[in-house]
Amino acid sequence: MKLKSSLKYSWLTYRRDSLWFPLAFLALFVVIVLIMRHPAVRFSIARAYLGFIVPLIGGILAAYAVLDDPALELRFSTPVRAEQTLLARVGLILAVQAACAFVFQLFVGALGIDLSPLGGLLRVQLVWFLPTLSLAALGTAGALAGAQTTMGAFLAGAVWLVQLMMNSWLRLNARSAFLFLGVLAPRDPGLALNQFVLFGGSMALLLVSWALLRRQERYL
Amino acid sequence: MIEDCAIGIEGLTKIYGRGSKAAQALRGVDLRIPSGMFGLLGPNGAGKTTLMRILAGIVNPSRGAVRVEGHDLTTERGKRGAKAILGYLPQELGMYPELTAAQFVDYMAILKGLDEPRQRERRVAEVLEMVALQDSAHRKIKGFSGGMKRRVGIAQALVNDPRVLIVDEPTAGLDPEERIRFRNLLVNLAADRTVILSTHIVEDIGQTCRDIAVLAKGRALFRGSPAELTNAAAGHVWTVMMDRLAEPEQGLTIVSMLHLSDGIQYRLVGPSAQAYPTAEPARPSLEDGYVWLMKSAGEAKTG
Repeated sequence: MKLKSSLKYSWLTYRRDSLWFPLAFLALFVVIVLIMRHPAVRFSIARAYLGFIVPLIGGILAAYAVLDDPALELRFSTPVRAEQTLLARVGLILAVQAACAFVFQLFVGALGIDLSPLGGLLRVQLVWFLPTLSLAALGTAGALAGAQTTMGAFLAGAVWLVQLMMNSWLRLNARSAFLFLGVLAPRDPGLALNQFVLFGGSMALLLVSWALLRRQERYL
Repeated sequence: MIEDCAIGIEGLTKIYGRGSKAAQALRGVDLRIPSGMFGLLGPNGAGKTTLMRILAGIVNPSRGAVRVEGHDLTTERGKRGAKAILGYLPQELGMYPELTAAQFVDYMAILKGLDEPRQRERRVAEVLEMVALQDSAHRKIKGFSGGMKRRVGIAQALVNDPRVLIVDEPTAGLDPEERIRFRNLLVNLAADRTVILSTHIVEDIGQTCRDIAVLAKGRALFRGSPAELTNAAAGHVWTVMMDRLAEPEQGLTIVSMLHLSDGIQYRLVGPSAQAYPTAEPARPSLEDGYVWLMKSAGEAKTG
């Protein structure tokens, strides 16, 4: 019951632009897919949304998730632990991104767009989830380290952009830390290690975020 | 012993930043605060908010010992323990404008660990009634006045029935009627708990507290009763009638000016009023006592 109430208020206090922003991109890509007729183009757009757009939005929104709270000082005065705050705030961002990704997959599935070149059903989920988790963790850690939401959003956006621009080089030289290996090279033999590194790196960044969030005075 | 009182503070020092950018907000503060209403007075920048935040377990002390109802605030465990028995109303009260008053207080109750829904619902209704907001409980906070928001703030602070209530500048921005209502509410609450009222408004302290401390530049300058602070200014307060007084002499401070038909009546606080032969000694007020204390410590603003 407490969890239910807690989730209810997490949702009620969720910033509305953190909802409209991903929904607007979802709607935009739905429209683009509808406009395009060629199957290969439709697949590319679907892949771009899941593999690039969902992670970018997740990273940017996660940067605002913890610190952009009007009642932050009151929250800090309660016995709520840092890990609970982190889980509730970043978890909600990931949940919204997951909902968008699932709705989009249902939509493209209904249009007959085949996502199997990205792998089986589970692998397709990893294509968007791991980069989203990584950028969300980076955005959160960046915001907390700089005690500034824009710092986290900038960091997540910059890493996204640099990785996208240097994708050929990263695929050859640093594939295990390449955010988009799953979407650009789904049959790469190093994909399992890449997934492991992305997950491990995300956990490490969330651990850093947890340690930073315990130092509450930095954010007042 | 700092364990013997509701709140014990010993050698409390807080330094923000490092190296050349370091700023010392508290400089070895020692205070023993018993239960009841306690006033913390001081000018802006005295370190009051830092002290309040340390007592609320939000800011870590750099040095010294702090205990709230036996909980050691220099440890994580102690801070969590203190937070469970604490109600806190910060100076800058942020809320979720889209929530109703009842929802906001209910949410804070959940964060404070009140798990049982029916008990929580009952308690939310109780505290909203205590702050006379029962009729507005289901209105969104965004439509509330400053005073109503402050009352929601107090309601959330009380929802866990705290043994210690910390309120930082609670009457700032309130109209006189709201201020009086708020002060009375705090006095009632102090009957069975410790209430720490931090403010720079001398009148608020005088009307509510038996026990006060004055903080300036991070140091506790005074600890005692309002009457003792008032008496400290005895022999240092005068009134004088003049046409115009541009700069007061001999380190005197103009506490008030009253335009009358035959000139301006100045109220002066300072070591001596010999420069004004017509000056008449006056009975000190708490505000005079505060100004005299600040002057004695070299903290007073001139003019």
